[in-house]
Amino acid sequence: MSTLTLIAAVAFAFQANPDALSESAARLAQRGRADEAAALWQRALTAQPGHFPSLFNLGFLRQSQNRNEEAAVLLARAAKVKPSDFSTRYIHGTVLLKLDRRDAALHEWRAAIAAQPGNFKLLQIMAVEYSNGHYYREACDAARLALALKSDTPDVWMIAIQACHDARDPSVLELTRGAAEKFPANARANFEYGYQLRRAGLREESLPYLKKAMEADASYEEPYFFYGESLLLEDRYEEAASHLRTALRIRPDYMPACIALAKALMGQDRLEDASAELQRCSQGNSNHPQPHLLLSQIYFQLGKEEEASREKDLSLKLRRAHPEFMESPQTRPFPVPGK
Amino acid sequence: MLHTGWLVTVLLTCSGLAAGQGMISGNARPLARVKASGRPWPVSFVDVAAEAGLTAKMTSGNETKKKFVIEANGSGVAFLDFDNDGRLDVFLVNGSRLEGFPAGQAPTNKLYRNIGKGRFTDVTKAAHMDHSGWGNGVCAGDVNNDGFLDLYVTYYGRNVMHLNNGDGTFTDDTERSGTGGLGDEWSTGCTFIDYDRDGHLDLLVTSYLQFDPRSTPLPGKFPFCYWKGSPVYCGPRGLPYGRLTLYHNRGDGTFEDVSVASGIRAVKNFYAFTAITADLDSDGWPDLYIASDSTPSIFLQNRHNGTFRDIATECGLAYNDNGSEQAGMGLAVADFDNDGRIDITKTNFIGDYPNLYRNLGRGFFSDISVKAGLAVNPDYVVWGTGFVDLDNDGWQDILQVTGHVYPEVAQISASESYKRPRLVYRNLGNGRFEDVSSLSGPGILQEHSSRGAAFGDFDNDGHMDVLVMNMHEPPSLLRNDSHSPHHWVKIQLQGVRSNRAAIGATVSIQSSGMRQTQAVLSQSSFLSVNDLRLHFGLGAAGAVDHITVAWPSGVTEEFPGVPAGELYLLVEGSGQAKPLPLPK
Repeated sequence: MSTLTLIAAVAFAFQANPDALSESAARLAQRGRADEAAALWQRALTAQPGHFPSLFNLGFLRQSQNRNEEAAVLLARAAKVKPSDFSTRYIHGTVLLKLDRRDAALHEWRAAIAAQPGNFKLLQIMAVEYSNGHYYREACDAARLALALKSDTPDVWMIAIQACHDARDPSVLELTRGAAEKFPANARANFEYGYQLRRAGLREESLPYLKKAMEADASYEEPYFFYGESLLLEDRYEEAASHLRTALRIRPDYMPACIALAKALMGQDRLEDASAELQRCSQGNSNHPQPHLLLSQIYFQLGKEEEASREKDLSLKLRRAHPEFMESPQTRPFPVPGK
Repeated sequence: MLHTGWLVTVLLTCSGLAAGQGMISGNARPLARVKASGRPWPVSFVDVAAEAGLTAKMTSGNETKKKFVIEANGSGVAFLDFDNDGRLDVFLVNGSRLEGFPAGQAPTNKLYRNIGKGRFTDVTKAAHMDHSGWGNGVCAGDVNNDGFLDLYVTYYGRNVMHLNNGDGTFTDDTERSGTGGLGDEWSTGCTFIDYDRDGHLDLLVTSYLQFDPRSTPLPGKFPFCYWKGSPVYCGPRGLPYGRLTLYHNRGDGTFEDVSVASGIRAVKNFYAFTAITADLDSDGWPDLYIASDSTPSIFLQNRHNGTFRDIATECGLAYNDNGSEQAGMGLAVADFDNDGRIDITKTNFIGDYPNLYRNLGRGFFSDISVKAGLAVNPDYVVWGTGFVDLDNDGWQDILQVTGHVYPEVAQISASESYKRPRLVYRNLGNGRFEDVSSLSGPGILQEHSSRGAAFGDFDNDGHMDVLVMNMHEPPSLLRNDSHSPHHWVKIQLQGVRSNRAAIGATVSIQSSGMRQTQAVLSQSSFLSVNDLRLHFGLGAAGAVDHITVAWPSGVTEEFPGVPAGELYLLVEGSGQAKPLPLPK
């Protein structure tokens, strides 16, 4: 008789003891015998429906098997038994997110954080998910809490900067300054600070940081795009085009840079060049409406009215089919019961 | 306890579709403001509506929570001299409510006669203008060329043509003229336009959407019925689109629906508001531009043969500079940069910037609102707007009235509120504007949920005033108590070959090397009517050197210079500028 068979036999003998069943099941699970483990946890739950270790472990097993609906039910039951158990709430949240139930996931994570307020990693995850749910205010708050716990890597700063930028939080300029000071050789940290300085109307002050970003990482396209776009606003079309071309060399499918380049060329009355550029972009991203919108204007100016009309119609059709390209999501408060 | 042993950290991210919303909102942030010019701003507005006698409270559905979009949009107002006494009178379009009113208690539109010295008297009943219904917009023109301004009012229901009898009364001429529409449409914008240049004003009517309370979904029913996660009235997105109607004036007081033949009806899929007519491509023929909510705006170019085509996309007038659709509400047209071409500004929903479409010539436009410094107040829902030279320095400033659509919005989002102050932008003369709202007096700082606005000089003091529709409140009459030392001149046109009110004419004046251009409009701002007398600030110049009028007939006529400080009548073909009295 093997050891495991012995365990099973002992477990059978003590079938009325849920703790013993659960511990046996856990040992089976650790040996990869998931079906047998699950059967034991089920028996433990038959004997005691609120048996927390069985609820949790069977729930965890089901999520690891990608049986998320079952996992969610089990973990919800476990959370009722032990509402302040961090692991239960955390894993339940991840399961709910896999099931596309972001709000429910965030509710679980809020409970997990209440149990373990110093969990930096979960705060980061929550910041990202709040942002994905367009709960930008909450995203910014979570990211700043994470940053207060641990600020030694650029990533945590960037999550906070993005979240607080989306939340239109007044602290974002200060956050970017802090990141640029802490990571002076980091391209994105410098870019973000330069970007926020420019947004605050401090154009001259922004330029050194944008240049530092370009020097720190010549393969980072965003500073080139932003610099070019700034020049475009000042009608400095040739200089703008140069930077925008660099951004596009780095990332050929970078649509905002492509659109801006086309505008820079249109500003120089180089309609044919702009048209060629837009056609190239639209081949790279055939669902984006913007190249076709500008193409309709260029063709119309060139007297090609049929082509202009065709591009106009295509642009509108793509806009309706793919609203995500041109429409911003609404920020909204996270729904908290009782508030 | 073994359960913690299996923990793994999984960073999960899911991309989600944008949350639904009924109106296009760009989530735009306020951009940096230009450094304050430091120039003195002599303009101060004070609300004198109550003391002037404009006390009628406006109705527009439920005051605290809107069940349907029709309750949210309010109505237009008009500054017009209906009795030709030289003083601007006031017309207010009134709405209704879903449950209706007991017999005889329904609110009516209001007509107030200006009796001078800053006072108005209610002549609504005496003038036979006590029409009830769910009114929306108003446009003005002299339909029968008898020298008295007529009014057309749009409704959710049958629209009404009010013919001015010239004796202080109006006649409902809807039936005879054939301009009432289908009777179940929700019409919003309208503008008279002599599109075939035969001297008789034709009429364009816009409708917002096809509305039926029996079939329109209730708040929260669909994704387009939410604002920032809270259920609100549905629309306009998700509701059936509106349509355009063009009536041709036969010249005998009757109109014929030419919507299909003119190509107007071919334009589809929009939620239309304010309509303006002006010669936007400088070809001598009046065009149409229509602000559309949450759909591309419409530029109907006159093809000189009784037909139009929508080339808004091709000409840069459909979207903003970023290529995004917007929730277009109000429109103003004037030459803001004094280059001789008519430019356009359009107001939009919260989370967005207004447009400033600079006319590049040949009918092409470029949205330069960011460059011009107008992208600084995206936290307002903006409706009525005007290009108006508030300090008479020769540059057209911009005034906007604001207010959210959801009365309960403060409970949804702490940073938003139903009532907001007005916004004033001073034209710096270098292609840029600066926000001078905080310097523009108590009338600007007052918070209301405003919609329509009309611009005119009701007290004939040479400073442009503003009439504003406020939701569920009496209107505001913002008197401009400017102490600007600058000069000004007013010009009133009288068509002969052209329609008598000269709707669609363009006037350019030259003074001290500065050239200014304005158009005579039948409707603008938000569903409203401005003073048809054109007001030009002259700065330090004591006279106008030269006047050019491009008449709606297609004829361009030159007029001699005139001294400042007066109103002049320019009759088509006369070549003379005749001073008119400006009674206080």
